[in-house]
Amino acid sequence: MSEAILEVSGLTVALGRRAPRTLVDDIGFAIGRGERVALVGESGSGKSLTALALLGLLPHGVAHVRARSLRVLGRHIDPAQDAQMRALRGVAIGMVFQEPMTSLNPVLTIGRQMSEAMIARRGAGAREAQDRAIALLDRVGIDRPELRMQQYPHEFSGGMRQRVMIAMAMMLQPALLIADEPTTALDVTVQARILELLVDVTRENGSGLLLITHDMGVVAQIADRVAVMRRGRIVEEQPTADLFRAPRQAYTRALLAAVPRLDGPGADAPASAGRPVLRLAGVSKRFGSGRRATAAVDDVSLEVHAGETLALVGESGSGKSTLARIAARLTAADSGTVVLDGTDITRLSGSALRTARRPVQMIFQDPYASLDPRFSAARAIAEPLRIAGMLDRSAIGRRVEELLVRVGLGTAAGARLPHQFSGGQRQRIAIARALATGPKLVIADEPTSALDVTIQADILALLSELQREQQLALLFITHDLAVVRRIAHRVAVMRQGRIVEIGSADRVLTAPQHPYTQALLAAAPTGDPTSQRRVAL
Amino acid sequence: MTMAGTDPIAVTAAPTPGLARRLFSNPAGLIGTGIVLVLVALALFAPQIAPFAPTRMGAGKPLLAPSLVHLAGTDEFGRDMFSRIVFGARFTLMVGAIAVGISLVVGLCIGLMAAYARGWVEIVLMRLSDVLFSFTETLIALACVAVLGPSLQNAMIAVGIAGIPLYARTAYAAALVEAGKPYFEGSVVAGAGPLRLLLTHLLPNVLPTMIVIATLGLSSAILAAAGLSFLGLGAQPPTPEWGAMLSAGRDFFNRAPWLMLYPGLAIAVVVLGFNLLGDGLRHVLDPKGRDR
Amino acid sequence: MGRFLLRRLGMGLLTVFVSSIAVTLLIHLVPGDPVQIMYAQSQGTTPEQIEAIRHSLGLDLSIPEQYLRFVGRLAQGDLGVTVRGQQPVLGLLMQRLPNTLALSVSAMMVALLIGVPLGFLAAARRGGWLDAGLMALVMVGISIPSFWLGLVLLFFFAVQLQWLPVTGNGPLNLVLPALTLGLANAAVFARITRSAMIDAMQEDFVRTAHAKGLPEATVLHRHALRAGLLPIVTIMGMQFAYMMGGAIVVENIFAWNGIGRLAIEAIFQRDYPVIQGFILVFATVVAVVSMLLDIAYALLDPRVRRAV
Repeated sequence: MSEAILEVSGLTVALGRRAPRTLVDDIGFAIGRGERVALVGESGSGKSLTALALLGLLPHGVAHVRARSLRVLGRHIDPAQDAQMRALRGVAIGMVFQEPMTSLNPVLTIGRQMSEAMIARRGAGAREAQDRAIALLDRVGIDRPELRMQQYPHEFSGGMRQRVMIAMAMMLQPALLIADEPTTALDVTVQARILELLVDVTRENGSGLLLITHDMGVVAQIADRVAVMRRGRIVEEQPTADLFRAPRQAYTRALLAAVPRLDGPGADAPASAGRPVLRLAGVSKRFGSGRRATAAVDDVSLEVHAGETLALVGESGSGKSTLARIAARLTAADSGTVVLDGTDITRLSGSALRTARRPVQMIFQDPYASLDPRFSAARAIAEPLRIAGMLDRSAIGRRVEELLVRVGLGTAAGARLPHQFSGGQRQRIAIARALATGPKLVIADEPTSALDVTIQADILALLSELQREQQLALLFITHDLAVVRRIAHRVAVMRQGRIVEIGSADRVLTAPQHPYTQALLAAAPTGDPTSQRRVAL
Repeated sequence: MTMAGTDPIAVTAAPTPGLARRLFSNPAGLIGTGIVLVLVALALFAPQIAPFAPTRMGAGKPLLAPSLVHLAGTDEFGRDMFSRIVFGARFTLMVGAIAVGISLVVGLCIGLMAAYARGWVEIVLMRLSDVLFSFTETLIALACVAVLGPSLQNAMIAVGIAGIPLYARTAYAAALVEAGKPYFEGSVVAGAGPLRLLLTHLLPNVLPTMIVIATLGLSSAILAAAGLSFLGLGAQPPTPEWGAMLSAGRDFFNRAPWLMLYPGLAIAVVVLGFNLLGDGLRHVLDPKGRDR
Repeated sequence: MGRFLLRRLGMGLLTVFVSSIAVTLLIHLVPGDPVQIMYAQSQGTTPEQIEAIRHSLGLDLSIPEQYLRFVGRLAQGDLGVTVRGQQPVLGLLMQRLPNTLALSVSAMMVALLIGVPLGFLAAARRGGWLDAGLMALVMVGISIPSFWLGLVLLFFFAVQLQWLPVTGNGPLNLVLPALTLGLANAAVFARITRSAMIDAMQEDFVRTAHAKGLPEATVLHRHALRAGLLPIVTIMGMQFAYMMGGAIVVENIFAWNGIGRLAIEAIFQRDYPVIQGFILVFATVVAVVSMLLDIAYALLDPRVRRAV
């Protein structure tokens, strides 16, 4: 390593007013000039806290930051000294945050927000700061930067805002750029370009990059070196290629194994080509009215057969969730028909709809809102059974226990309330609840997107098993192609409300026909630093 | 439209073990509970606590200044002001409970129905609530009294009706949040009927928010009803109602300022008590409010 | 922005429409015969006179007909005449309205000038003793009945110290009513400002501003304050309505000749035309003011201003 721009050792962060809990525990690392280091870990590992602590952005009184030694550009800094930390911010260390939608001030123009730090910190004139801002906006790929300077954040898309954030962080040419999950809130095709931009911009400036992420694919794509964090500690630190080839710690191995990969094993072939359980024909749905109406779902037809998993893939706003809701009749389609298990449910309502909808159940993305906070696990699982009225009390009790065991929670879990479970456990309860009445079709809307990657792997395995056992038809909504690879038999790719490509998972993922599918695949991080495919989009 | 006058409240639906303990560890909650308990005790044991009958004329000489015998002095008829204030606690508590009861029950029904039914029912109910809300409670209460005529009973009804839009809007907003959550939609897909959805999912999860609103609402209802009585539109003399007593004390403004001092102080303390209790409850029930 | 304004205008018209219907129905909700009640206090009214009055009020028509008649006359600026004195109601209300507006607006100024800075200060010193003290003060402030506060102020400033006149309608007489009404609402504003500022200070973009290396004061004033003040503008409309409502009580304490005092007298005298006119005027003023403030908000917030 050449000259270090940041060297920290013995960094400890504790949170809490009365009884502070130590969430970052005695960690240390260094970043050299022009080096790209990834700090990777699952939720709660302390990676984001570390970033905020390095910038002195944690709230006073609540956060307690200590470091045995912190050196930035060769100077010793005391993280407890506010003035010293403020002097670093923006000038020595710049930062890009996760949420591009909320990280810019909605009531100030982009130009003002871009130039204010240069005026305040460098004493630059307004003209000079503006010129630099325009040049940087141009550099990060914003069209007509002079005009865009006059605009407000809401006039930019998420990807564009993240470009602005990057340009803004580079205004004072910091020696180090910290990017905290910079692409997590973005679609995969946008993500690839933002990552490239981060690499290019820091390289041109000779700045180091500290990338905070949970995504091994992102790590593989851009980092020179990786530090793996777990429960507030750095468990392993290696050059990226070495870490992926020969992880030293069991945790790192488990983490890497859990990452679904596009070139990983696919789902087992369905036992038999069953009859169609769900048939959508020419389904359309528009939101809004008049000129402002947008087609969320536009003339979609598809079938899901018993015993197969159909993955519905698309980026945000593609209409995939709306389509899922239409299939469950949570939303009524404007036109087209929805046939569930042989019954046309398109026009049904009231109790007729309730009866006809019996064969379908849903699993949702947010495990924290998927269960009524006042219902114990057993009561939540029993609810669909009670509604169906097929079993008596004791039979319901036995069935609930059986389901709890089947999803790996055990019967003792039944009495507990949702807030006493982790996210992954809640999703298991949601799965048990969905399967309680023995449905023929389960619609799962991004069921693992809010979960850590190791838990995601477990949930996907559980869903696959249950599906095989019960010959379920599974409609699986996701934005993640690697997840598709692991679970789906067939894939439908959605874009702007339409299905652009549908076919077997093998065929779509290895030989995509439609240019959009090709672009999606090219943009997806592969999770392997050696076979890095970077396709210009 | 945004909710005005009150902070928007988002209360966790999670059951809260040790609620009382957490409430008492919050200074506002502790003081508020204390004041409310004193009020309840005064109302329950008024005959035992008060040294004189509240309407007994000539309990002392007219317009006596506060002393050990007459802690709050006497009024122009020689009635003991302290006794009148003690008995006034009964009216205050009753007015608050009945008015808030009306607002809460009707508002909750309207809000839940609108959030569940959607469509034109939702539009009509909530637009109407918005419009009535913008009239302010004072105007609605005045209009009701104008129709019903001045009396304590009518003032309670008027204040109760005037509060309905706020409770309806709050219940509606909270129910709408719940109805949009996946667990609710999961139950819909599982085939749950309207009664089950309303009673087992929406109502219990909306209730914590409504309890906070109702506690804070007690203070504004007491204030509004006392205001009506003060204007002569509520309780009529010789009823020992604090607002009416304050109004009567106005005539002796110069000579006997204690006649207006103590009833007003009583109202202020009780209103403060319910405000503190409501604030404490919100801190305990609302995760966002905890460090506010 | 055009869309936003149209919606706001629609809401304002709906408010006036609903109040006009409520006002028509009002008289029918009165238990018993409204005409009998209205004239019970005046002596020597013959049954023929009662019928004539009933006819002149249009109470012998069907309710929809009455509504149309009411609206038709309203369009000509006619709200009927008072029961006692036979004066035109609209003229009477318009003569008193400026007094009520003067009171409400000056009370609003008092509330804003005291409440907003205190709320800002509390938020900036959040968690400290100043914050705790201010918030305790605010709690007491919102709990004190305005009618009592008014009497206490009157007692001290007008009777004891004799700095200000007790009654009358000159500019000096406005001081105490405006203070009374303003102080209670200052507490509300302080509370709202504090909570809006705390929300704003927790926004991601405020963290961004810190990360850029801006000085603390610049972050607070340029980023947090601007975002924090917007919600305050949106609730000012509602707060103004509360001021108008509070003015009814305060006017009666200080014998300030506004429409609130007129309304209370009318309720005692069962003068329904005046009560009807009062409700309509009140609702219209509130609707207009809140519309104006919403337009101000739209101009301040680029998200609304620049929306297509």
